[in-house]
Amino acid sequence: MTSEVTNIVVEVLPRFEGYVYPNEATAHPLWGFLIVLYPYITGLVAGAFIMASLVRVFKVKALEPVYRLSLLTALAFLLCATLPLLFHLGHPERCYEIMITPHLTSPMAIFGFVYAWYLMAVLLLELWFDYRQDLVEWSKTTAGFKGIIYRIFTVGVTDVSPPAVALDVKMGRILSVVGIPSAFLLHGYVGFIFGSIKANPWWGNAIMPIIFILSAIVSGIALCVFNYMVLTWIRRHTVEMRCLDTMAMFLFYALLVDAAVEGLDWIHRIYAAEEGFSVMQTMIREKLFYTLNLGQATIGTLVPFLLLGSLQLLRRRVPEMVRRRMISASAAMILIGVLAMRWNVVIGGQLFSKSLRGVMGYKMEFAGVEGWFMGILLLGLPFVILTVLVKLFLSERLPTSGHTPHGSSTT
Amino acid sequence: MRRFQMPPQILRLVLLTLAIVGSYMVARVFLTPATFGQYGWYRGAALEELAARTPVYAGKKACDECHSDILHKLAGDAHKTLSCEACHGVSRTHADDPDILPVKLTGSHCIRCHEANPSRPAWFKQIVVKDHYSGKCTECHIPHQPTQSP
Repeated sequence: MTSEVTNIVVEVLPRFEGYVYPNEATAHPLWGFLIVLYPYITGLVAGAFIMASLVRVFKVKALEPVYRLSLLTALAFLLCATLPLLFHLGHPERCYEIMITPHLTSPMAIFGFVYAWYLMAVLLLELWFDYRQDLVEWSKTTAGFKGIIYRIFTVGVTDVSPPAVALDVKMGRILSVVGIPSAFLLHGYVGFIFGSIKANPWWGNAIMPIIFILSAIVSGIALCVFNYMVLTWIRRHTVEMRCLDTMAMFLFYALLVDAAVEGLDWIHRIYAAEEGFSVMQTMIREKLFYTLNLGQATIGTLVPFLLLGSLQLLRRRVPEMVRRRMISASAAMILIGVLAMRWNVVIGGQLFSKSLRGVMGYKMEFAGVEGWFMGILLLGLPFVILTVLVKLFLSERLPTSGHTPHGSSTT
Repeated sequence: MRRFQMPPQILRLVLLTLAIVGSYMVARVFLTPATFGQYGWYRGAALEELAARTPVYAGKKACDECHSDILHKLAGDAHKTLSCEACHGVSRTHADDPDILPVKLTGSHCIRCHEANPSRPAWFKQIVVKDHYSGKCTECHIPHQPTQSP
């Protein structure tokens, strides 16, 4: 009987290897590609916000050209952060119910509070205080639909006297200071949701929130580099090398810390070699070979690490054009690598049996809810929103107030 | 002594927050289901609401009224425990009006039970469709009398 069952497992359903429980014999894992996108997009939000905070809180003046772009990037992606969850769960018409009957003991439901706090109390407010002076100005000088939008966003406050503007700057700084732990909370919480699943050795890990936060910072800075390069290319502007080099420097150090912490996690796992270790080895050698070794470790970490690291040592000897290309390539590779990392966490955690003696498979469909097509749409949507936001709030045709994010006026 | 005056932008934000929270409270009153929380964190009337729906299955008795010969054959063979609508699909509309035909059958009805799956007992007849045969199941099997050959 046992051999018959084993034969069925191995021969009849080749997507299983070894021993898997009958209830694990499903065609697809419970959490598919949309759940891969959820921590990816949330991480990009947190990272882009941290990037903006470098200017506002830590007063890194070289990054001023990307301050507003980073905040708008964070907003565009935050608006889409819950869409993968919404589509994954189905019945989007019931989405309001989570707010009408809020649950206070489910870790998944608490993310709703974390998200609402971050969107309503941190990001939107910081953007509003930063833009208020400009919004008042634009609402007076712009006609038509755009003008109406600016007037709505002023919320009827037109006071731009020096004390009012000084208060805006002060509030912006307070919100930035509150925003850093909030951004850590936002993405650390996503890490906690996975890390708290103690029955799964791939996920159940106390430092999962820290790993998520660090990879989020890396991916967020990489996204800001990418967006900055694309925007300057579209507008035929010259790239400010001081800004780009500073972003590359922060990207390198963030990557260094991220790789170090993930490396420490693996050293710990290898030395401790707990009961799930052998199945993890199978995952690394077979199931996640390409996404982990090639995607996450080589493309996402090692190559950008060498490229950005060499720039830190030899910056002055490398021509600007080469530097731009090296930094852009590193940012793009990091964005792919972090997506691979989210895949490895989410899908990897569901590819082995709870018996720890068998592995399952996952073949992504094209047109289904969790398919490639939907994934590409959801990844493209934040860029569409960002384009609209940039046209509205970062337009070259609009005059800007000239006050810098940390208060000293340049005019 | 100077009177405290709230800065206009802060005052407007406070009013906006109050408006949002106020609308939320009002919306909550109207949108919370009436029986929510009656027994726990769910709608107390959920089961009654489901039970009140009109059934879409006709049941074997309704089939027996016109197709008793087929049901007789079915009762004598291995598929005797199956409901007609397990393979023929929901058929209440067909039972009410015989001119409305039930859903057309395909082989997927057979493999729903007979495709090999490790969670099924080993004695249960299982095949791997792609290795078994690419034609129609009914070329070799009679669904109402699976132990007979056509």
